[in-house]
Amino acid sequence: MSSKRIPRLGIGGPVGSGKTMLIEQVVPRLSSRGYRAGIVSNDVVSREDAERMRRNLATERGLMSEDLVVGLATGGCPHTAVREDPSMNISVVEEMESKHRDLDLILIESGGDNITTTFSPALADYFIYIIDVSGGDKYPRKRGLGIESCDLLVINKIDVAPYVGADLSVMERDAKIIRGGKPYVFVNCKDGQGTEEVTEHIIRDVLFEAPPKVVKR
Amino acid sequence: MNIHNASIEEISMLQLSDSFFPSGMYTTSGGLEALYYSNRKITDADQLRDLIKVYLEHQIGPADCSALGNSYEHIQRNDLQKLVEVDNMIFSMKLIEEVRNASTRSGTQVLRCVSSFRTDNRILNGYQEAITGLMMLYGFSVSMVGAALRLGVLQHFDGQRIIHELKPSISETVEKNIDRPLTSMWQFAPDIDILQIAHERMSSKMFIT
Repeated sequence: MSSKRIPRLGIGGPVGSGKTMLIEQVVPRLSSRGYRAGIVSNDVVSREDAERMRRNLATERGLMSEDLVVGLATGGCPHTAVREDPSMNISVVEEMESKHRDLDLILIESGGDNITTTFSPALADYFIYIIDVSGGDKYPRKRGLGIESCDLLVINKIDVAPYVGADLSVMERDAKIIRGGKPYVFVNCKDGQGTEEVTEHIIRDVLFEAPPKVVKR
Repeated sequence: MNIHNASIEEISMLQLSDSFFPSGMYTTSGGLEALYYSNRKITDADQLRDLIKVYLEHQIGPADCSALGNSYEHIQRNDLQKLVEVDNMIFSMKLIEEVRNASTRSGTQVLRCVSSFRTDNRILNGYQEAITGLMMLYGFSVSMVGAALRLGVLQHFDGQRIIHELKPSISETVEKNIDRPLTSMWQFAPDIDILQIAHERMSSKMFIT
């Protein structure tokens, strides 16, 4: 089983931090290099995210087939669904894996949650945690398992920093201290700034620079 | 020695029926959420208890519990073909797609989890048939109460009270159905099925159904 496992990337973060938009930025960038991804999106109360990604990435841009975006309800417990009882997510990921052996990557988006979210290693091989600047520049300093332990910290909405009085240099300094040298990236998912760097992290640290499984002709 | 063995078995039962056991059951509300947003909202604990009783006595008991009993029987005889027949039967009796999927997914993960620490390759044999039935019905009741708590339908003491009040129904339902032959398996709660079909289609929801 493990030798066949398609690399799995977990993306967590608070409600409205930009998880879905990050996926919408990263998937086309991966796709332009030939990498094919599937998406499992955990809903908190609505199917909106899964439906938006399906429309945007599959229906309109043709980057994936529509059945490669799956929405999953989590009973109001988004952190449980990716951490202490990831049963339903694992089943859905494995179903996708068995139907689409040629995928290079499966992205699992957690439902919006609090800063203690982490992914079970049984569910995800790599964990991106995304926060945004609008909660203030104290965010990294306040710690939380998600911010501390994720493989890559993404700090989104840097364009609004001046309007909310968030000092990016303070966030950068604290991220460095709290994360003990693990990587972080500042992004603006609205215009794509910084998301190329996130994509490069994924290719290097999740896919280990393996070439795409299916070569486009 | 016997006491020691018995207590290990009992602890095993507690482990499997604990809501912390990773079965994924917390993702379903048995249509309770749809009811919550409909004009037939459940407003007190007694109504919830009665709804759970309908589930137990008209669906889970005569269908799932009977399927469990039949599975045990065929496992003892190593009859894989019959076991598949039981599986197909219970699958076809679940009329709501999301419920079928959730049930299959939950079952797969429970089996896989147990087999990761029970290496004798005879998972069900380690647990007594009727007790496993009790665990299944108890687990279902707890997951319904859990969903109701999260929906704010009742408060936590009420939840425990109705679990307590459901014990006779759980016990009687298992006794009545665990030996039910495959040919007389049934389920009939059309109102609940329709409710769950409506839930399946809700655009905004916390629970699978």
